[in-house]
Amino acid sequence: MKTRRKLFPILTVMVLVAIAAAMMVIGRGHTVYFDNRTLEGYNGQDFKALHRIVVTVKGEEAGKLGPRERGMAVWIGQNFEMTLEVTPEKGDEPEIRTIRLKLPYNMDGIIVNLPAVLAGLPEDAWLSEFVPAVPEEPEEEPFEGDEFGFGEGGDMGLGDI
Amino acid sequence: MIAGYVLPPVLKKMGFPRLIISGFLLLLFIMTPFVDADLPAQITNIINRFSWNGVLVLAMVPMIHSGCGLNFGLPLSIICGLLGATLSIQFGFTGPLSFMMAILIATPFAVLLGGGYGILLNRIKGGEMMIATYVGFSAISFMCMMWLLLPYTSPTMVWGLSGNGLRPTISLDGFYNQVLANFLPIQIGSIVIPTGSLLFFALLAFLMWAFLHTKTGTAMTAVGSNAVFARAAGISVDRVRILSVIMSTWLGAMGILVYQQGFGFIQLYNAPNNMTMPTVSAILIGGASINKASIPNVIIGTILFQGMVTMTPTVINAMIHTDMSEIIRVIVTQGMILYALTRKTEGAK
Amino acid sequence: MSKKVLNLARNNAVPIMFVIICAIFIPMSGFSTSYLLNEIITRMGRNLFLVLCLLFPIMAGMGLNFGMTLGAMAAEIAIIFVADWQIWGVPGIVLAMILSIPLSVALGWLCGTLMNMARGREMITGYIMNFFITGWYQFIVLYVMGGVIPILHASIQLPRGFGIRNTVSLLNMRQYLDDLLAIRISGVKIPVLTFLVIGMLCLFIVWFRRTKLGQDMRAVGQDMEVARAAGIKVERTRILSIIMSTVFAGFGMVIYLQNMGNLPTYTGHSQIGMFCIAALLVGGASVEKATIGNAFLGVILFHLMFIVAPKAGGFITGDTMVGEYFRVFLSYGVITVALIMYEAKKRMVRSRVGQELAAAQKEGEGAQ
Repeated sequence: MKTRRKLFPILTVMVLVAIAAAMMVIGRGHTVYFDNRTLEGYNGQDFKALHRIVVTVKGEEAGKLGPRERGMAVWIGQNFEMTLEVTPEKGDEPEIRTIRLKLPYNMDGIIVNLPAVLAGLPEDAWLSEFVPAVPEEPEEEPFEGDEFGFGEGGDMGLGDI
Repeated sequence: MIAGYVLPPVLKKMGFPRLIISGFLLLLFIMTPFVDADLPAQITNIINRFSWNGVLVLAMVPMIHSGCGLNFGLPLSIICGLLGATLSIQFGFTGPLSFMMAILIATPFAVLLGGGYGILLNRIKGGEMMIATYVGFSAISFMCMMWLLLPYTSPTMVWGLSGNGLRPTISLDGFYNQVLANFLPIQIGSIVIPTGSLLFFALLAFLMWAFLHTKTGTAMTAVGSNAVFARAAGISVDRVRILSVIMSTWLGAMGILVYQQGFGFIQLYNAPNNMTMPTVSAILIGGASINKASIPNVIIGTILFQGMVTMTPTVINAMIHTDMSEIIRVIVTQGMILYALTRKTEGAK
Repeated sequence: MSKKVLNLARNNAVPIMFVIICAIFIPMSGFSTSYLLNEIITRMGRNLFLVLCLLFPIMAGMGLNFGMTLGAMAAEIAIIFVADWQIWGVPGIVLAMILSIPLSVALGWLCGTLMNMARGREMITGYIMNFFITGWYQFIVLYVMGGVIPILHASIQLPRGFGIRNTVSLLNMRQYLDDLLAIRISGVKIPVLTFLVIGMLCLFIVWFRRTKLGQDMRAVGQDMEVARAAGIKVERTRILSIIMSTVFAGFGMVIYLQNMGNLPTYTGHSQIGMFCIAALLVGGASVEKATIGNAFLGVILFHLMFIVAPKAGGFITGDTMVGEYFRVFLSYGVITVALIMYEAKKRMVRSRVGQELAAAQKEGEGAQ
């Protein structure tokens, strides 16, 4: 009885920690950017931008990309999957391809070079990190709250006295 | 417990939190020369703030004495003061006369509302503090509507465009701004003492002290320290309590008027909310407990609290270059109230 | 028969009053039924969990837990970290809930201990506790986060290098819980999963009332001395009820925030306790007795009043501000009235017991 009593909380904590750890892995979010631009000089080869690529992520169209255009989608987890509708040259019949990519855990913003991916190149060719510009000075827009009209300024009953 | 063995009796009597706060304040004073803060300016500031807030803190005393606990219902008395102030301006009084009229007009409101509030508190003995808090909130939000709806017309007070509803802040220039402070001010070097305000506080404090030594006053103290015993001694507990609430309410109304004359503005709508916690905390810092308070408690408490409020921003900011004073103030204020609440009530229940 | 109706009306005076207020205000406000229905369902999903967490301390006779805000603060700290680590979607919500638990337990334990020291003044102690912990919360959020604990993303951190911005965007968590499994019936979105979570808490409460601990809590709530005599650890039971309330308040706050979609770092929690308590009381609960039904009814009526009051106020007085102040006045008023009724009743019972005791004593003396 006594051991059971002790065991139960320990087990609960362990289960919670395990769930938390699992959530850390499967819930990691990434912002994925798709570039349809020419990759130059990879192993001495150029991979030309394509006429038109329609990117679909999770059933939602993330971008209709002409050459040198960029699309964006958010993705939760590391096993990224997208559907591309590729038209290599004007007038070609579009080809539909499903692409699965493994995203690096520690990268927030990921740029994917589509021509490189379509050519089946390794990760270091198509992947680069998106570094956001340093955010401008605080855009402290007033919070649109639950429209409960008190505690304005959050002074907690302690304003200027 | 440990403090009892280590500290001399005087310090023990001061109580642990007061010791910390006094020490903190002392430290701030010692630090001022090192951080290039203007000491005379700081002292002037503390004296000024003392003169603004003293009467408000004094308003805590009667209710604590009669066992009604800490008056979290202070907003109610502030509203009486605000009614006095706004009506006095509305009726066209100016200058020092407007201050006198504000006091005069506020008085019947304070007596009536205080009386009703007292009767209410008699029906809910034991739960005064929580209910007082919410009576205060209800009163504030009710008056928020009233400030918009009452037919005020004075152009200094109403919104310029629509012409109805009072402004949130009303300047007292030309009315009773600094009316007490400018009475016989004394200048010592760069320190200015607002003698009038201090005298006004001293007068009310003296009256309070004198009252507490009359027969009714001692009865009030008896009710606060032991209601059962007081009833057995033939004191009408309920009447004494109502009287104490009326006194507190009236003093609170006076307190906000004195505050306004120092601050220079009338603040309406949610502003009364901001006065409660600092005032309650001040008297506790001064050494009062939930059912015991004296005039020295008021004076020491107000000085310590206002000292902390004025000194922390300048000194701490100069030391670590960030504004941490607000946080320190919140923690000290609320910590002090918590400490008082969790202590065993002195005397029999 | 008529007596029965009268009694029913007297016992449910507050909900009936609010039904009447809503009935008058709804036509004045001119909102469409589908708009109101949508709003109410959203707000039920958002607030019910928070309101339900108030039931535990009431069970233990500790009154309305004004200290539930502590759980909300714990949740806010957890959610800031989760947002910074960029754990999104439902996993992020679950992670925030789990992370909030240790903080909630610690704060709940502190709050419960202090309330045990301030017996008879539990509510005001909880209320002041809010402000006290808010001070520490600000200290942590403004100085410790980014100063001591690293914050990775500049979008969350203040430009000065430490401290958290006024608003933290939870865009990638926004309504993920609500939208998963959500169904739409003629334009009204029903967040099924959120309601399932709330339903689970309701089931837990029903089950918990029957457990040993639940029974102990009710015994303590009824009479502390009798419970102590029966061998119940009164202090421990009371602390546990506060801890449970705080932990569930933390979960509730995570649900609330995922629905709102952003976190107002410094003001997000300040009025939560107040509104949850007002909602529960509007549903017909009192300080010593509250049911799950009260919580549901309360949230519906209170929020209906809150939605329609400004426009109705504008309709009556030509100024929507009056309506806004009016609804604030009503929320405070209902809490005030409930507290007064509770204390007055407690005092009546006490004096009746005293009289009975005195009478019994007299009888006893007469017999001797």
